[in-house]
Amino acid sequence: MKTRVYLSVWRVLNGAQELGQGPIFWTLFVLLSLALLVYGFVGSIFSLSNLANFFAYVPMALGLCFLWGYSGVLSFGQAAFFGIGGYVYGLVAGNLVGTWGGTLLAAACGIGASMVIAAAFGYFVFYGQVSGWIIPLLTLVLSLILETFMGQTAGYQWRLGRVLFGGYNGMTGIPSLRIGPLEFTGASTAFYFLVVAAIITVYLSLRFLVNSRHGYAVIAVREDAERTRMLGYNVDLIQVQVFTLAAGLAGLSGVLYVSWGNYMNPSSMGLVPATLPVIWTAVGGRHSLLAVLLSTVSLKWLADSLAVRGGEYAFLILGALLLITMLFFPSGIVVSMAQKWRSRSRQRAIAAHTESSKDNQTRGIS
Amino acid sequence: MTPTGRTTKKQNLLQVQDLTKSFGGVRAVNHVNLVVDYGELRCLIGPNGAGKSTLFSLLSGLQKPDAGRIFFKDKEITSLPPFRRVRRGICQKFQTTRIYRGLTLSENLFIAKQVLNESANRNGRLSWALKTLGIEAEAERPAGELPHSHQQWLEICMALATEPDLLLLDEPTAGMTPEEAALTAEFVINLNAQGMTVIVVEHDMAFVRQIAQFVTVLHYGSIFAEGTLAQIESNSDVRRIYLGEQ
Amino acid sequence: MSPAYIVSLLYQYADNVAFLLLAALGLMIILGVIDIINLAHGELIMMGAYITTLAYNRAHLPLPVCMVLSVIGVGLFGMFLERTVIRRFYNDKLGALVATWGVGLILSQGNLLLLGPSMPSVPLPEWTISYEGYSFGGYRLLLFSVAILVVLVAWWFFYKTRLGVQTRATMQNAKMAQSLGVDTRRIYLFTFAIGSALAGLTGALYAPTTTIVPLMGTTFVDVAFITVVVGGGANPILGALTSSAFLSVISTELSSVFGTFTGRIGLLIAALVVIRFLPQGISGYLRDIKRRRMARVST
Repeated sequence: MKTRVYLSVWRVLNGAQELGQGPIFWTLFVLLSLALLVYGFVGSIFSLSNLANFFAYVPMALGLCFLWGYSGVLSFGQAAFFGIGGYVYGLVAGNLVGTWGGTLLAAACGIGASMVIAAAFGYFVFYGQVSGWIIPLLTLVLSLILETFMGQTAGYQWRLGRVLFGGYNGMTGIPSLRIGPLEFTGASTAFYFLVVAAIITVYLSLRFLVNSRHGYAVIAVREDAERTRMLGYNVDLIQVQVFTLAAGLAGLSGVLYVSWGNYMNPSSMGLVPATLPVIWTAVGGRHSLLAVLLSTVSLKWLADSLAVRGGEYAFLILGALLLITMLFFPSGIVVSMAQKWRSRSRQRAIAAHTESSKDNQTRGIS
Repeated sequence: MTPTGRTTKKQNLLQVQDLTKSFGGVRAVNHVNLVVDYGELRCLIGPNGAGKSTLFSLLSGLQKPDAGRIFFKDKEITSLPPFRRVRRGICQKFQTTRIYRGLTLSENLFIAKQVLNESANRNGRLSWALKTLGIEAEAERPAGELPHSHQQWLEICMALATEPDLLLLDEPTAGMTPEEAALTAEFVINLNAQGMTVIVVEHDMAFVRQIAQFVTVLHYGSIFAEGTLAQIESNSDVRRIYLGEQ
Repeated sequence: MSPAYIVSLLYQYADNVAFLLLAALGLMIILGVIDIINLAHGELIMMGAYITTLAYNRAHLPLPVCMVLSVIGVGLFGMFLERTVIRRFYNDKLGALVATWGVGLILSQGNLLLLGPSMPSVPLPEWTISYEGYSFGGYRLLLFSVAILVVLVAWWFFYKTRLGVQTRATMQNAKMAQSLGVDTRRIYLFTFAIGSALAGLTGALYAPTTTIVPLMGTTFVDVAFITVVVGGGANPILGALTSSAFLSVISTELSSVFGTFTGRIGLLIAALVVIRFLPQGISGYLRDIKRRRMARVST
């Protein structure tokens, strides 16, 4: 009985709705994960901290990949839910300093707040069965309005308990996640391991989800929503659930980010932050979780390197990258590369096969 | 009056009262009253534009009627959204195939069989159907690459996968060769013999003749005539409305 | 409630309506005809503001001339954009959204690099009208008149000119229009140019009233997007009018009691509620009512 469950879990995890199957892929995956973990013991605190910062954004990007690539809904709202997660965490954690488990409760509140607001937003949008372009617009507006709103919360009257909202300067001094004596600050190896564990868990869970029957339901909605209704699915509810899950992942990223940097400000929710997840997802390839994971880390690293040398060009380059991707690599750069590699190896296999059968023929073997 | 002469409500699977639907200035369905028994195999025929497909979309919930009521298993479903009707046991196979073209045949069926008629008992009809129609072998092919008749059969199987009590087939043999249509006819008869109630909308009179028990004729959105196949075929008014179209 | 107070409320209302109309009309026309959302709309408005400001400050041209330059300049850029980017996405609405967003990002960031973080703005024409202790800006009243004028011109164009009728035909059914001899590609090009030119006009008109920074487009687009969502693409002119009229009631009311950006949150919530019950926006709802009325008449 138990082997049956493991086999079916394996079958789902290895399913067709995501790039990369088979023993070679999984070996590489395990090796890479191990390498990441080992690096936690040998790398310098500086590079670990940097890497951890990039990794913290991965859940948010994977959430958008699931929402956009698998469910067909484009949202500019991940930044808004990132901010909500971070700010609510800050509000709760700042007031529970000294309480055991206070930061964990704060994390739950932060992620929970993102999901509740997303569910409310989703109710209006999905149960109205609106046209596709409405959601990108309204989520963009949500991000912009939240940025403006939080930007003008300077002043002593804007606070909860002893935590000030902080206006444009943002909320500072937010305590990092902490379990007992173990503190997950930005400059700690503990945080690095936490984030690596988080992204591996999120990736594998989402990978499992997209190949399960719930994942197929989501894909069916993307392919033909009305047809899926006619097969008995409550499509509106499914879409709200996917939207809420993506927001929860964005909230998780927000909580991780705040634990890393101990601050959160409105500019994390504005125009450019709202676009970044869309760029990462589009450039990587929205139909593959792995592609988005890779592109997010690479593009964050790219922006980081540019910030040192010529920071002003960073967003210009990202904008150009987005445009080029949409025009010439519509399925994403990583996904296009993977598809080309796959078809080339298939062509090589076919060529080898015809070569060997030709050889067999000339030798008189059929 | 139902085909078997019963008039008591309890035996009716589907009862349509005074159903009306207009589009723009056209009245597509005009005060239709219809009763379908458990276990019937009913054919719905009529000239082009008679309102057959509109009636189906009112039954499955794609469209809301302007007036009238629909009862299924003695419960009113008039304002129920489509997905709830599927869960009650009505499933439609569409006129133009709406399968998930990018997914394989088995993936299509996997999606179709997740949500079931809540009052159904599992009875293995889907595997029987797949075997009879002969599309099992193509399980891993993308549905969009299947030949047209196989796509139609896949759609029927997807509808069956929800284990309906009432199956609505909208022109199931559209685009099929006579041999494929005959196979489909035999399939529908066998399905009905196993107890499935089926309503079929069809243009192809040869197909209708192979399967029909009781026939309802629609014309300009109203019920024009009802009766056995023999009665309808000998009805001169019915012949007139068809010949008039030709 | 003194009459002067009511007048002041009306003034604020007219001001809000003008802002919404001018910010959204170009976007709605493009949406209505081509069924595409141009996310670079804010940057086109910014472009219009910059052209006017530069022409005024550097070339010392009279203000109306600067504004005309904006309209022409942004309109031409719109044509260029349509040719190079937009037309590849007619069958990919979400793709068009993302691609135009990339364009907008390039425009705003490029502008930041080229012209710096801000620029001295055109001085606001000093026309104040005083009444019973309230003072009203004459320039903003002018903006309201221009907004109404633009709507009238648009209406005249769509309903009274041949090109306008062809455009409406394309809007209803592009394939049918094509088979009747309408050059739909040229209609799309022209429509996008007009929508862009209107954005340029908005930027030019509001340039004297606001700070000139590369990201100034965002203050226009968040209300423009809400207006578009509430109005719907079924009838751009009617949608823009009804939507701005309705939304301005909410924002004027909220702003006068709570302050400007509670006004904006109120607008977002209003948009969400409207969209839940009128998913095609107000103009879509009105179109459905008309269709239903036609059905009843013929029976």
